[in-house]
Amino acid sequence: MIDAQHAVSSAYQFVNVPMGIWIDERGRVVRPAEPAWTEGRTDKFGGKAIVIEGDKYVAALHDWVKNGEHSPYMLSDEEFARRVKPRSAAEMEADASFKLGVWFHDNGNNELAAKYFEHAQQLNPDDWNYHRQEWSFTPQEAGKKWMDKFQKLDKPYYPTLEIDPNKKQ
Amino acid sequence: MANHIHRREFLLASAGTAVALAAPSTTAAATVLYSDNSVKLDKVRPAGTDLWVRSADLPRINQFELKPQGACRADMCIPIPKALKNGEWFNLTGFSRKVGQSFISDSGVWSFGEIPVMRGSFYESRIAPDFAVPDRKGKIVHLSDFRGKKVLVVTWASW
Repeated sequence: MIDAQHAVSSAYQFVNVPMGIWIDERGRVVRPAEPAWTEGRTDKFGGKAIVIEGDKYVAALHDWVKNGEHSPYMLSDEEFARRVKPRSAAEMEADASFKLGVWFHDNGNNELAAKYFEHAQQLNPDDWNYHRQEWSFTPQEAGKKWMDKFQKLDKPYYPTLEIDPNKKQ
Repeated sequence: MANHIHRREFLLASAGTAVALAAPSTTAAATVLYSDNSVKLDKVRPAGTDLWVRSADLPRINQFELKPQGACRADMCIPIPKALKNGEWFNLTGFSRKVGQSFISDSGVWSFGEIPVMRGSFYESRIAPDFAVPDRKGKIVHLSDFRGKKVLVVTWASW
């Protein structure tokens, strides 16, 4: 499926790719947004590392498919509430601004698109989807912009994958 | 998302007062972005930072409908002050302020963010918000099409 409007990211508060959610047969979210890699590895860029725990993620996914609500990877309501917070006013405005930028881009007005992409990035700088989408329009500069921002991070590039079955979830 | 609101909820009028100007007389065209929808309206009445739309256009803008008890969508009704209505016109941005919804506009395009109270079924009941996106052949796929099955939704990008 092709999500040109970022509808899925907006609905589920995804801030990067790949991210995923699990939804059960009743339409309830079992696990909210989290990194959804399919392999485990560590990538290093300029002395900083991106730790990818896709092997754990895939194992957990298999367990849930097999065991359903008896899977230890089902999140309790309390844990769900801890992980999923309503958007702040700035985040909501960023979402509206980003969608406005997408509309202007789709309709050929790159100047106004850039204005509202930038506004969204300022309002919600932790959303890498906003940055990476805008940078993709100037691919010759995208790598440098990514590296500059990545090197300034004081927290992991991806949200930490909290998927340990031995912890109460 | 409207299909996933299972509770009947009537919101009391908020303590805050929605700022509403009288609907101006000059009409124009506008594009309104609301959730996943993009709606082109032939007639709107912009007034400073406010946007008045025809009440009859509300359902295709945001699936709300004006009823005696307020602005209603599915089984939720939000009471609205009289100042938000003027004849056939409805102050869409005044309504947004009342419900705490962000909006931003430029050059006749108005983009609206989520309505916080409409997200309650996600935050409180964990009901997955529906969405609709095209597949590679252009066929629209709804998340709700997969009800009754386990679903894994993963996003990726080509950047």
